[in-house]
Amino acid sequence: MKILRFIVSRLLQSVPVLLGVSIVTFLLMVNTPGDPIRLLVGVRASDETIAIIRDRYGLDDPILSQYFTYLGNLVQGDLGASLRFKVPVSELVAQFYPVTLFLVVYSIVLILPPVILLSVWSAKRPNGPADQIIRIVGVIGLAMPVFWVGLLFARFFGVTLGLFPVSGFGTTIPEHFLHLFLPSLTTAIWVVPILTRNLRSALLDEMNRDYVTAGMSKGLGAPQVFRTHVFPNSLLPTLNLFAVIVAYLLGGSVIVETVYAVPGMGKLMVDSILARDYFVVQGATLVFALTTIVVMLAVDILSALIDPRINT
Amino acid sequence: MNPLLSVRNLFVRFGETLAVDDVSFDLPKGGALGIVGESGSGKSVTCRALMKLLPTTALAKGEINFDGQDILGASEATLNTLRGKRIAMIFQSPASHLDPLMRIGDQVAETLRKHTDLKGRAIHQEVLRLLDVVRIPEPERWAQAYPHQLSGGMKQRAMIAGALACKPDLLLADEPTTALDATVQKSVLDLLVDLRKSQGLSMIFVSHDLGAVARVCEDVIVMRKSRVVETGKTREVIDAPQHEYTQMLIASHPDRLTLHTPQPVPQATPLIEARGMQIRYGGGGLIDILTKRAGGFLAVKGADFTVQPGETLGIVGESGSGKSTMARALVGLVKPAAGEILFEGAPAKPLGRNRAAYLRDVQLVYQHPYEALSPRMRIRDAIAEPLRRHKLCPAQEVPARVADLMAQVDLDPTLGDRLPAQLSGGQCQRVAIARALAMDPRVLIADEVTSALDVTLQAQVMDLLIRLQKERGLTMIFISHDLAVIRRLCNSVIVMRRGEIVEAGPTGQVFDDPAQEYTRTLIDAIPRLEAAHP
Repeated sequence: MKILRFIVSRLLQSVPVLLGVSIVTFLLMVNTPGDPIRLLVGVRASDETIAIIRDRYGLDDPILSQYFTYLGNLVQGDLGASLRFKVPVSELVAQFYPVTLFLVVYSIVLILPPVILLSVWSAKRPNGPADQIIRIVGVIGLAMPVFWVGLLFARFFGVTLGLFPVSGFGTTIPEHFLHLFLPSLTTAIWVVPILTRNLRSALLDEMNRDYVTAGMSKGLGAPQVFRTHVFPNSLLPTLNLFAVIVAYLLGGSVIVETVYAVPGMGKLMVDSILARDYFVVQGATLVFALTTIVVMLAVDILSALIDPRINT
Repeated sequence: MNPLLSVRNLFVRFGETLAVDDVSFDLPKGGALGIVGESGSGKSVTCRALMKLLPTTALAKGEINFDGQDILGASEATLNTLRGKRIAMIFQSPASHLDPLMRIGDQVAETLRKHTDLKGRAIHQEVLRLLDVVRIPEPERWAQAYPHQLSGGMKQRAMIAGALACKPDLLLADEPTTALDATVQKSVLDLLVDLRKSQGLSMIFVSHDLGAVARVCEDVIVMRKSRVVETGKTREVIDAPQHEYTQMLIASHPDRLTLHTPQPVPQATPLIEARGMQIRYGGGGLIDILTKRAGGFLAVKGADFTVQPGETLGIVGESGSGKSTMARALVGLVKPAAGEILFEGAPAKPLGRNRAAYLRDVQLVYQHPYEALSPRMRIRDAIAEPLRRHKLCPAQEVPARVADLMAQVDLDPTLGDRLPAQLSGGQCQRVAIARALAMDPRVLIADEVTSALDVTLQAQVMDLLIRLQKERGLTMIFISHDLAVIRRLCNSVIVMRRGEIVEAGPTGQVFDDPAQEYTRTLIDAIPRLEAAHP
């Protein structure tokens, strides 16, 4: 019951955030340079046509009532239409969003096992040889810019070795896995060191806790104390960082998707900005914001499930 | 008869420091041995060495023989068949020794799963039985609870249940009652005494409180600076201590301290008065507003009290009774939900505009001296901070004032350049008191200032407060869960329970003739040296 109350209160708390997001995206459109109607009808339309269309689109209404119209449309899932493709933005999102989602989930799948393996290995002997090597390799991974690693990988694995395709998304699921392997790997290379360092220090902190001594005094032995006590307690701080990174990965898909020409939200965003397709940019921003809120909410609920102290 | 445990010439070394220096003792089967000493005396390290539960940096030498088994030479695998099964241990702060993410029942069951063949239902039944043995009410319900939902005493009971799970021969108790309230301490001690009888448990009981040891153990060894200074029957050691340190230890025990008669105070306008003070924690969340409830938890439910100028008022109660919360409200660290605070008969707003002026007159000293001082600030600067911040004296006079304040609290002037971590707990508490006195306050609120200190240091800090009160005519509010301390210091006393004042009056009257059953329980719970086994 308590957990339900907790979830409800978190959901209520995200309502103001959602409103804030809608205001920001609305202002984004209102303040875009140039007249959206000009973009819509082209440069050769007469002033009368423009006036009629302005009136039809309600652009002469007070700004507040324009906002509420916008909000009403949002609630119904109407994000406007793309100026470039002449299709509703929601259709574009439905087409491009799953690709990015696939990419992010795929990256997470590639990220988690090495993070757990490496941080446990490091924490076993702090400042030992393994820890030092993991740290140095981690710093190198962090220091390399994503676009550069992307280009190197594309060239080496894709062109020289011919192991993986270097662009596109493919059509079948096995093809998706093959096409997105390099983009996901490129992402993992800078995320793994961050999470590894975080989890390592959390593990070291927890290994010095009193309950570890208590566990040892019960004769559980170090491996079991580590598995059942130290590890679950160490996950909590890392989980929060993980949420931030996942939210960032969605936004950060811009670079990776551009380098590997993956038809995802990031690429859609960049292309739309370059083509001044404002409604698409606005819709994509909204979708990114929504996803971030959902990810944060999910992690909060997950932490509450792990840690009984959170929801009381 | 062979002893169950025999320790010969035990040395434990941490790098350069010798933590245990040539300790030897025997424990017969069914016996109970107390190890008494101040913090840093090596008593806890000795206790942990018995299970070889020392950090990897420690180097242990000597011989520990448990029922024919050499402990120091044993492999980790062999030790893990002994730990929890034949030798069990309970610790000082149950809160930090329980895994916060695991249900109480599962933590008790861990030992059973490891050392017995019990499975599923049988384990569950056994856990419930154990929780019942340590007198946890409604075992079914509390087995499902997480540690943070239990009170301190309940946590300690749960830990004892886990330790008893495999019917060990030897129980090592490392300060098991130090962090607990007097009443809870008494019940845990009673439980240990009972368990000794009913389960035939041998026990090693480590504590800085000779009174607690006297209740449980018939033999005692006194440790100081890593060495054993005295050993013998508890009764005899208490009645006729041989070593001068033991004599000091006994003289410092609240039981033996000479009663200080507080100066009588004339009836005048109260200096501080609280009227109908209510303090609420939490609440006011989004859901609380929507459901139109106050929410949260009422920590103080309407308190009225007055403090005369020059008086020392004691506030006693168990943890969670709201006594510290009330002190914090007096200096504006928490905001009362209702009621008012009067200073010299005029309404005072500790959170209002005249906050700084009010706080110059009313200063609070905190329970944990190390946490109340910035770890990176030299103590000279810590004491000078209020002088500089409030420009209480010209800048060039600050060093002289600091030296004067340090002299007042008996701090060696050479300590001024040290950091808090380089001082003992007692010295740190003096620094905190000097810092509060720098404001030249008229009221000093002392929130459990002696609770975190050893008995000998406790006595010194109390003497200091008594002297300061005489010299400066300070008005004090002294908060403690330790009735012996209150009795020694205070003119009048307030007894609090669950946020309410249950009894109030002159100290002598409340102690000698308590009107409430609850007050009587509190008084009975004071550990007494006389309780020693004959």
